[in-house]
Formats: sequence, structure tokens, C-alpha cells
Amino acid sequence: MTDARKWQLLLGIPAVLLLFVFLIMPLAGMVEMSFRTAGSNAPYGDGFTAVHYARVLGDGFYMATLLRSLVTAAIVTLLCLIVSYPLAWHLSTARGGKALFLYACIASPLMTGVLVRNFGWMIVVAIDGPLNASLMGLGFISRPLRVMFTQGLVIMALVHVFIPFMVLPINNALRNINPALSEASLSLGASRLSTFFRVTLPLSFPGIQPGVILVFVLSVAAYVTPALLGGQMVNLMPTLIIRELTGTFAWPFGSTLAIVMSIATLSIVVAFSLLTARLMERVRA
Amino acid sequence: MAKVKVKSLTKRYGAVTALDGVTLDAESGELISLLGPSGCGKSTTLRCVAGFLSPDSGDISVNDQSIVSTPSNRRDFGVVFQNYALFPHMTVAQNVGYGLLFRKIPKSEHGPRIENALRMVRLTGLADRLPKALSGGQQQRVALARALVIEPRLLLLDEPLANLDARLRDEVRWLIREVQQQSGTTAFYVTHDQAEAMAISDKVAVMKSGKVANFATPRDIYQRPSERYVADFTGEANFLAARVLDASAGRFRIEVAGQTLDVPGVASLKAGDTAELLLRPESLSLDMDGASPRSLFTGVVSKAAFLGASQHCEISLGTGGVLKLAAPPNTSIAAGEQVGISVALEHAWLMPEVKP
Repeated sequence: MTDARKWQLLLGIPAVLLLFVFLIMPLAGMVEMSFRTAGSNAPYGDGFTAVHYARVLGDGFYMATLLRSLVTAAIVTLLCLIVSYPLAWHLSTARGGKALFLYACIASPLMTGVLVRNFGWMIVVAIDGPLNASLMGLGFISRPLRVMFTQGLVIMALVHVFIPFMVLPINNALRNINPALSEASLSLGASRLSTFFRVTLPLSFPGIQPGVILVFVLSVAAYVTPALLGGQMVNLMPTLIIRELTGTFAWPFGSTLAIVMSIATLSIVVAFSLLTARLMERVRA
Repeated sequence: MAKVKVKSLTKRYGAVTALDGVTLDAESGELISLLGPSGCGKSTTLRCVAGFLSPDSGDISVNDQSIVSTPSNRRDFGVVFQNYALFPHMTVAQNVGYGLLFRKIPKSEHGPRIENALRMVRLTGLADRLPKALSGGQQQRVALARALVIEPRLLLLDEPLANLDARLRDEVRWLIREVQQQSGTTAFYVTHDQAEAMAISDKVAVMKSGKVANFATPRDIYQRPSERYVADFTGEANFLAARVLDASAGRFRIEVAGQTLDVPGVASLKAGDTAELLLRPESLSLDMDGASPRSLFTGVVSKAAFLGASQHCEISLGTGGVLKLAAPPNTSIAAGEQVGISVALEHAWLMPEVKP
């Protein structure tokens, strides 16, 4: 082994240690917990059983909730992509001070705490809040809309906070595209629209892929925003999991729900990566 | 077949004038080089012609039809870029066939046309490779094929050889010229390399700070340049300050370094003008036995370097000034020697003195 190679391994050690202690070990604990029997007067019992998995997979309620979580995350991801792409494009053409200002604007949703941000939404969409007041003032509606505790609001709030995770990688990918490629495409007779779909969009995929994966994973796992803005009316997996873990103290069953959700998410991410692997391979410089 | 005219093109960026009345024209099938140092406006001119930039004023016409307001995707020009600009996610065949997608050409014809274009640039058997699997020279051939497959009215080449190594540069340069002549495509070729420009062009436009300083055949650019800048840029040159005594029909009697000579020159010169006499090194020869009756000038060798095929010499003249010349490789020359210099006067050239 060369010295450089040794150093590379050595440099990886802190991260590996951190991940081992704070990710692998707790995860292993979760897996173990998911096979524990339910306890009476205790969070879990002594024996081992697979009955919780049978219950999650066999019960339509849990499967429907899982599906709702995944679909909600998919909608959030798609909306995020649609909103973020033009933004990323605009950002990728900016230079110097303007670029810096735009970066700050785009990162702004992340600059407030999750509670403050969600209470902000509550005030905005309240029955007598500014949203309803302005819509009624403009004559679009005659009586206030109930926006609070709807899936739509949860989706909107998640899109809002996850935009930076989509914009930044796409912006990066767009900046790496040689501007002469668009010119070449135009000179060969392609319209601006064709140029976008045939050249720019595929070449920005190295930014789209991580953006989509990040936002999807974060959306599936989002807890605070659905809990605060969706309340009891919008049942998503994280809400259920937390309820089991801290509400009824059914740790084994809560763990099972969490593991099932993780596996479902992971499968989708892997499938997405495999489906797009060919394109990624091609566009990688 | 396209006749291209560029008329009084100007382009400003704030206070900077990038193009200041550029006028050029190309007959059908001609290759025109835009030659100059970086920042002279040659690339800006090309980008205006390609439609990537719109000029502030002036006109560009193809077959006497103005195209200055036509968007670049409707100009029907093939562009070859310095960095090739191949689509990295498409195979060679897809790259070459790209322009066919936007033309009314039946799908069944695409394959043969792509093949044909690749054969023309002598690149076969690589159609299914991705650009990143090709060498620089191969990539530039693909770029050339891609620009030619659409049978463009005009071929625009922006320093197409700048990223290639010296040996490949020669090869691709001749290929470009051959393919351009074979297809009869009118072409504009931007370069900062004078040898490249002279070797492949029908005409060369030497550019200087946003203007065309001289637009003529390679021979005229080199042997009968309009001014010192052009002479300097196109090769080794000696200049001597001269004064016009008498002018008649492009021939001039001048006084230079204490002598009176008859030389050809730029027609606009008049008697009494101060001028500069251009003496290319190859129109000078050394008289080794000191000053002979043929010698026009005498001087002392101040520098001599053996280059293999020739020797580079610098001679300090008694009347002031230095002449550079190439001596035959087998005469022995040493610094400090007293020599005479003969001049092929029919190859001297008188130019107006241009104050910077």
C-alpha cells in the first residue's frame, strides 16, 4: 500500500467512527427492537418475534399511510423540481454580488428554525390571517378558506423549505455546462426549446439526481411540519411512528414502522438511481 | 453556394469598442481568415456572423440578403468551436446527426449522411463512441463533420486547432481546407496563427483593435502589407525609416539610410511623405567578403545563431538600425564581422508611417 493510500484511509477514520457510533449502532438497535415482543408496563418485552412486521404489512391502514407518505413526498419532490429549475437557471447566470445575494435569498428558508417557520405558516393561513384577508379583499372568495390542517398546506410548506436542496445542486450542474454547447445546438438549427430539452436538461441531470433524492428522502422523513400544519387530519408515517414511540410507548412496533418506512424509501432511491444510471454515466465529465 | 458580405460591423461593451466598422466579403467557396492577436475582435466578428451576438450597427448578408436579424438557428451556418463543443451525452453518430433532426430530411437518409460526413473527415468505425472516449483530434473531426453534415451556407471556424498539439494541428488544418474546398462551402476561419492563416486561406483579414487593418490574399498580406502592424504580425520583418522623394504609379524614389532607391509601395504615398521600408529577411543576402559593389548596406554582425536549415543573423548598420536576415547554413558567420548586405529591391515594400 502506498503512503498516499494509507493517508486516505487514515483521513476517513473520524467520519467512519462518527457514522458507526451515531448511525450504524442506533440503527442496529432499531432493528433489534423491531423484533422484540411487546411488553406490558414496559416499552418492550424479553422475547423476540416477527409479529410486528406481519401487522404492519398486513394492515391496510399502515400500508395506506406508507403509500400516502411516499406519494406526498413524490409530489413535494416534483413541485420542488418544477419551482427550483428556473430559479437554479437564473442563479447559474448570475455572477459576483448578485449571485451572492440570490444564494442568500434561496437559503433563507433554512435560516429560521423549524418551529418559527411553521408558526409563521399558521399565522399566514389562519382563518382571519393575511392570506384569507387578501383573497377576500380581492374578491376571489366570499368566505375564508380553511387551509390549516390540510395536506396541501403540508406540501406547500415542505416545498418551501426544501427548495434550497434542489436549487443548489442544479445550479451547480448548470454552471458546469459549457455555454458553447447551447450555441452549437442553436447553430445546428435547434430552437431554444429543443436545445433545452435535448442538451441543457440532460446535462443538468448530475444536479437533478442528487436534488431529487435529497428532497424525496427529507420529505418522507419530515415530522415537525406535517405534525404542526397537518395535525390529526394528515396522517403520515413519521407522525404515526412518533405516536407509537412516545405516545403509547410501543417501542418494538414503532421501530418496525420506522424500518419499513426506511426500506421503502431506500428501495425507491435505489430504483431511481438504477433507472438513471445510464444517463448519469453519459453526462459525467 | 453563398457569397457573404460583412459591412461596417460595430459592437460596443460599455466604453469598450470591440468592433469598429469591420468590413469583409467572401466570394462563394472562399475561405477567409480573420487573423489577429487576442482582443482584436476576430472572435467577436465571428460570433456576430454566427448570430450568437447581435452587432450594434452594420450589416451581414448572404447572397445579398441581410441576415443580421435572423436568429442563429435559422441562419444555416455550421460552427466549429475551439473546445469542440460536442454534446457529451451523445454518441459520435448522434452528435453528427444532431443538425439533421431540425431539417426536413427523411429519417432514412440520416444514417447515410452521417456516414458520409464521417468518411469525409476520415473518421470511421467510431460512430458509437462517446466524445470523451476520443482524442482531441478525433473530437475536432467529429465537430467538423457535425457542422458540414447540414450542408451549411457558411462554415465558421473559431480557432479550431488551438487545443491540438503541433503535429495534429497540421493534419487537421489540411483536412479542414480539403473538406472545405471539396464541399465548396464558404468559410470564415478565426486564428491568431499567421502561418495557419496564410497556408489555408484565399484571403486574410488582419485585425487590429476592432478594425480590419488589411484584407487581401496571403501573398499580398505578407509581401505588400498596408502598414507596419500587418507586416509585423505576418512574419519576421525589418523596417527602415524612409522619405519619399518622388512617386509615380506605385513606384517610389526614396531616401533611406543615406541612399536613394527605387522601390514599389502602397499607392497612396506621395512625394514628401515619411514612410517605412519593409525588408523581409529572405529578400536580404549577406556578402561575406565585406562590402562588395553589389552591397547596398554595410554593417557589423551583432548576433548569429545556427538554426539547422539556416542561420539567424542580426546586422547593425553603420547608419543606425538593425537588419535581421536568414543566412545559408554553410557560411561561417561570427559576431563582430564586417559584412555587406544585398537587397532584392523588387521585394522591398514601402508603407506609410502609422503613428501608434
